Amino acid sequence: MTTVFKRISLMTILLFCFASSVIAAGADKPANLTYEEHIRPIFRAHCFDCHGATEEMKGGLDLRLVRFLIKGGESGEAIIPGKPAESNLINRLESGEMPPGEARVPQAEIEILKRWIATGAKTSRPEPETIGPGLGITPEERAYWAFQPIKRPEVSAEFKKNPTVRTPFDALLLKAMPDGLAFSPDAEKLTLIKRVYFDLLGLPPNPEELQRVMANGSDDWYESLLDELLKSQHYGERWARHWLDIAGYADSEGYTVKDDVRPWSWKYRDYVIKSLNDGKPFDQFIIEQLAGDELVGKREGDLTARQIELLTATGFLRMAADGTGSGSNTPAARNQVITDTMKIVGSSLLGLSVACAQCHDHRYDPIPQADYFALRAIFEPTFDWQKWQTPQQRRVSLYTAADRAKAAAVEEEVKKVVTVKNEKRVKYMAEALEIELKKYEQPLRDQLKGAYQTPVKKRTAEQVALLKKNPSVNISTGVLYQYLPKAAEELKNFDKQIAEIRKKKPVEEFLRVAVEPANHVPVTKLFHRGDYRQPKQVIKPAALSVVSPEGQRHELALNDGKLPTTGRRLGYARWLTSGKHPLVARVLVNRIWMHHFGRAIVGTPGEFGKLGSNPTHRELLDWLADEFVQQGWDLKKLHRTIMLSTAYRQAGAHDPSKESIDAENHYYWRKPIVRIEAETLRDRMLSVSGVLDRKLYGAPVAIKEDDFGQVVVSGEQLRRSLYIQARRSQPVGMLQTFDAPVMETNCERRSNSTVATQSLMLMNGSFILSQSAKLADRINREAPELKPEELAALPAISVSEKPVWSFGYGEVDQKTLKINKFTALPHWTGSGWQGGPKLPDAKLGWVTLHANGGHPARKYAGIKRWTAPATGMLSITGKLQHGTKNGNGVRGLIQSSRTGLAGKWIAYNGVAETKVMKLAVEQGDQIDFISDCNGDVGFDSFTWSVQLTLEREKGPAFKWDSKTGFHGPEPVQKQSLPAQASYAFELALCRKPTPDELKLVVGFMGNQLAYLQQHPEQMPKGVTHAQQTITNLCQALMSSNEFLYVD
Amino acid sequence: MMHFSRRQFLADNAMGIGTVALAWLLKQDNLLARPKSVQVKPPSFDLTPKTSQFVPQAKAMISLFQHGGPAHMDLTDPKPELTKYSGTDFKDEVQYSFVKNASKKLLGSPWKFQKHGECGTELSELLPGLGEIVDDVCLIRSMHTGANGHEVSIRYFHGGIPGVVGRPNLGSWLVYGLGTESQDLPAYMVLTDPGGLPVDGVTNWSNGFMPSLFQGTVLRPKEPRILNLDAPAHLRGSLQAQNLELLQELNRKHFEQHPHESDLEARISSYELAARMQTSAREALDLAQETKATQDLYGLNNPKTREYGTRCLISRRLVERGVRFVQLFHNGQPWDNHSSITTGLPAICGRTDQPSAALVKDLKQRGMLESTLVHWGGEIGRLPVTQSHGDAKKAGRDHNGQGFSIWLAGGGIKGGMAYGKTDEFGHRAVENVVTPNDFQATIMRLFGLDYKQLLYHHNGQEQIITNGRPAKVVSAILESPSEKLS
Repeated sequence: MTTVFKRISLMTILLFCFASSVIAAGADKPANLTYEEHIRPIFRAHCFDCHGATEEMKGGLDLRLVRFLIKGGESGEAIIPGKPAESNLINRLESGEMPPGEARVPQAEIEILKRWIATGAKTSRPEPETIGPGLGITPEERAYWAFQPIKRPEVSAEFKKNPTVRTPFDALLLKAMPDGLAFSPDAEKLTLIKRVYFDLLGLPPNPEELQRVMANGSDDWYESLLDELLKSQHYGERWARHWLDIAGYADSEGYTVKDDVRPWSWKYRDYVIKSLNDGKPFDQFIIEQLAGDELVGKREGDLTARQIELLTATGFLRMAADGTGSGSNTPAARNQVITDTMKIVGSSLLGLSVACAQCHDHRYDPIPQADYFALRAIFEPTFDWQKWQTPQQRRVSLYTAADRAKAAAVEEEVKKVVTVKNEKRVKYMAEALEIELKKYEQPLRDQLKGAYQTPVKKRTAEQVALLKKNPSVNISTGVLYQYLPKAAEELKNFDKQIAEIRKKKPVEEFLRVAVEPANHVPVTKLFHRGDYRQPKQVIKPAALSVVSPEGQRHELALNDGKLPTTGRRLGYARWLTSGKHPLVARVLVNRIWMHHFGRAIVGTPGEFGKLGSNPTHRELLDWLADEFVQQGWDLKKLHRTIMLSTAYRQAGAHDPSKESIDAENHYYWRKPIVRIEAETLRDRMLSVSGVLDRKLYGAPVAIKEDDFGQVVVSGEQLRRSLYIQARRSQPVGMLQTFDAPVMETNCERRSNSTVATQSLMLMNGSFILSQSAKLADRINREAPELKPEELAALPAISVSEKPVWSFGYGEVDQKTLKINKFTALPHWTGSGWQGGPKLPDAKLGWVTLHANGGHPARKYAGIKRWTAPATGMLSITGKLQHGTKNGNGVRGLIQSSRTGLAGKWIAYNGVAETKVMKLAVEQGDQIDFISDCNGDVGFDSFTWSVQLTLEREKGPAFKWDSKTGFHGPEPVQKQSLPAQASYAFELALCRKPTPDELKLVVGFMGNQLAYLQQHPEQMPKGVTHAQQTITNLCQALMSSNEFLYVD
Repeated sequence: MMHFSRRQFLADNAMGIGTVALAWLLKQDNLLARPKSVQVKPPSFDLTPKTSQFVPQAKAMISLFQHGGPAHMDLTDPKPELTKYSGTDFKDEVQYSFVKNASKKLLGSPWKFQKHGECGTELSELLPGLGEIVDDVCLIRSMHTGANGHEVSIRYFHGGIPGVVGRPNLGSWLVYGLGTESQDLPAYMVLTDPGGLPVDGVTNWSNGFMPSLFQGTVLRPKEPRILNLDAPAHLRGSLQAQNLELLQELNRKHFEQHPHESDLEARISSYELAARMQTSAREALDLAQETKATQDLYGLNNPKTREYGTRCLISRRLVERGVRFVQLFHNGQPWDNHSSITTGLPAICGRTDQPSAALVKDLKQRGMLESTLVHWGGEIGRLPVTQSHGDAKKAGRDHNGQGFSIWLAGGGIKGGMAYGKTDEFGHRAVENVVTPNDFQATIMRLFGLDYKQLLYHHNGQEQIITNGRPAKVVSAILESPSEKLS
């Protein structure tokens, strides 16, 4: 139950707990109501917009102080202490007169107001003598937990001694647990290995890696594994994806319907990956993203690698949707870019919905509207809506001096060719003109020529009229081919030549950056109601007031003289990363924790304000935040600290006694399972099937719409999902279905849906189908055979995995009518089997077999051999047909390996019914359909189709047809099916199947084979039954919960 | 050590504004031993049916969206003054979209209007079908978006804010709030035109910031009708069933080791649902089950109306099977009659009028109209002045977001009424103006929801469909408007 209704009456609401129990809430009545603690929040939410925050109070009523309330406004006193029924305020609220519009103050809050008035309208302290404009921030508002300095909690020695405590925060978690709870034992080694692989790399361990770690028996195997994975380049890819979510990464501009491609966004993506791989301290990482350009220093000649890195980092500020370069360069669109950018900064680093204070003071958190604009002022020099730069104008070219010189040289070369081309063109045009003019008599001919050759602007009226009257004289390059086709072709070749030369030019790459124009110090004004058309007072750049102690707000210089830029962003970034900011470190560690545990300490990672959740473990949050800062903002160290903990290493064990205390595992007494994210799911499939392209970095992988309008990766591009082009308007179907975000602004936390469309995609989607087939191929190539005793322990597959039909030749003993030996025919023509490429074959003569029949040789008969895949009673019907009076016809024989000759027919210019009733067969028996020449090989083309029905003791009858079952060469299955099945588990699920599972799978494979053998028409081309059976098993494994969730 | 008290329980589960305030108060009172809300897991969502806040009138909605802006003064909003002054200059200000062909010349409707039904609402001869159902219809003649652009107004109607993308559509909100009665079919279905996508493409059924669960599922006009619904050729017959049996057996074994993880169980059932969907979706689309009379009613016997009629009929069958929200779209925007309106408008009317009316008639005769809300309308209307192309035959009308008509029927809507007015020339809505936000608020009310209270938490903000823009429930068009919130 997650649909949320705004509750109206506290008396009647039903609150749902996470275990879906429902209880009715009783009213809670705090005893001592005071204005500051209980009343002001109600006014802030509903009334201050008109009666407090603005300079002009509506109706002269100011609700900011109790004495103002008593004094009242134009309509008289608002309250009369002790007399709620006579208080105007209550009457207005209850009658619905106030607030204006549809919004209503909830009845419960009105009740609180009434009780407060009834108890004398008390304040918690004397009210100030004077009060400045605006709402200010009260001590109660400042007292909110998230605005308090980060305080490292003491960890008591008693808990430290507990043997299950590996890190100080284990102790904190343990301390918070109610009686009866304790950590679960460590997870099994294999579980842990998988857990850390997916967590750090987003990829499964491959069999060799797994084997190596499993074989490492040393005490510190786990620590070494963490260290190894933290050094992997894939670590950066995995954790970049998390940061790109919150940064709102997209490869398109959004905002307009066109949703133009954002060509150089990926440079920022690569910057993030690289920074994480390099272990860049996170404070540095933040500073670079907010103000890299301010650190670049003077540019002398080519950009240095460091300068490029710093500039690329500012791509963070350029992630918001921006339609100003794609047809919507309006003031509204520009201001939207600023709003969205600030929202990204706010939610990623501050964990506050600062955007709520854009139009008015924040209704729940102490963020005055002026604070919002002070923040905006920090970014104004870069984002000045009145001196706007479109995305194209903000690009920085990566051309070096050498590149430029090379490009100029190339253009020089082009110029030469162009000159030659132009000369030729002029010449050919003149020739063409002469040809055309021949159509005209003198003197018109010369007049026309004169008119044509006069430059357009200098033509006389008569000349213009003349040319208009004879339009065919207006020869242009475009029609040259009509006169001189060869010349036109020659000119075209020049263009090709030019294009070829230009290919030598170095490719010009760009960065998508946020920079400030030199000496640009714009003035920021507060917008009334957030409307840019209503600018009010000037606002200076500063950080949020509430995060600093009263009177110590962090203000920023308008212009830092030491820098070519204003220095505002740099100053702000340094304040954020000073270690003194109460929010930044908390917000970051909360998010890291969320990615490790699948749940956050503050459940609303982008909102630490009043509208968000409170931390479940505040001490844990503070300990982590402090540790992070103390350890030099080292993200890899933080991972290590978290992952070395007992809390992280626990099993996801089921434990009824603990569940009875905390079924939802709020206290971390076990490790919850986590569904892998969309990208990880796709990457895991690619990795398992062995086709993943592990290349790092680079331009995004193109996408396209398939025949059904679904967006898919274009072509065979098998790179990690992180590299797939992220168009806002064209989300890739598979990723979106599994909750990958489609960037509107950014994504603070992914949802986790479980829906039938996901199941359908895993049942029928083209991606999983192709990956299953590839995995089956890999298994066929690599699977090791099972040990004989393992094979012996398995039940036999009910149906033989070998092909039912095989095609060969042999000599018929004319006495017994048996064949001496069955030898497979060696040559496949694409539609039939024969002795060699040419007929008659030197050795095998005319022997051929095709779907409908064939031709025997003098010496050899053709044989279609059917091998019984199961035991039962076989019936055969069929027609042997010979269609000419010439020759002497053909003979058909049916021989059973168990019971001998079952039938004999001769067809000569006619039809023989080849019917055999009730032939007992056992699995593995061979029934040969032998066609020989009946003594004379001339004119022996025949058709012979047979239909076989096998009645089994149990289960439905099986049916075969010689025509649909006819096939060409089949790849050899190297290993037994159980061996392949077992390896499928190892690759897909990183473990061997249990004996029970293997038995289950053996049964499955038998059924599959039986079905496929009956339905050859369903078989994809060039695939054996065994292969298809393994493919289907692979699909089941890749769509199983064990594949989708990590313990 | 802590134990859960009822008070904590209440606080722990606080959701929504009222209770946040409560929790805050409790906290300040030092009554809370633990934090106000323990939203630790990422929210998970489902489509199980949910109880609305108050008695719903409508259980399902079929929206016949008419992209392009139907010319109300030629269809639903007779303007004798416009006819009278046709050819003279319009005195008022006009906002044009296509300035190049802008003209001030008034263009009287070339079509005749007459009264229909017991209610006597005047309608154009282009809409005889609508004339037959007019006693069940509430015609709103005073719609207003204030913007002339197509996308701006389309997004306003679907997502609540003019021109803004990335928001969930009305259908998303309804299925988010109410779930669905059908556990075998998607809750929110979209029927697209065989000719292609409508203007603004897939944004028309976007789930925006909600999970993809709340996205419209496209029922394509040709096979495959639903993406990934059908097994590929090599898995037909009982093969896929065998695959699923193995999969579910593996899943069950896995679940036995994780009996406390309800997500795993949910996924097991989602496979079962998917398998059921494969059969039920096909069945829902099998129009051979309908009588000839029904097929004829929808115009399936006529090449002109067959295509739209088929989709109207399918939408009835979907609603019959419990689908919550169905929306039909045209290819491009056939009502965008900038030029040659005298041929373009009759053509699109001819394709859609009979099927649209048939839908209402059919729902009524089956007793489904009471609980099924039918909506017909575009995102804007057209101007009373001509859009000139030199030749009178080529004349058309430019966009008009200032005033236009839509109609609603069933699902608690008062039939046989016309609501609101445009000015005497049909340019601006002047009486009982209705905005797309009012439209959304009213529809949600019919479904038993208060639009202000159906919240979705996104990026730390409480989102509602109207995004806090002014809106009202248009109670005058409701059969029983009096219902109050508790």
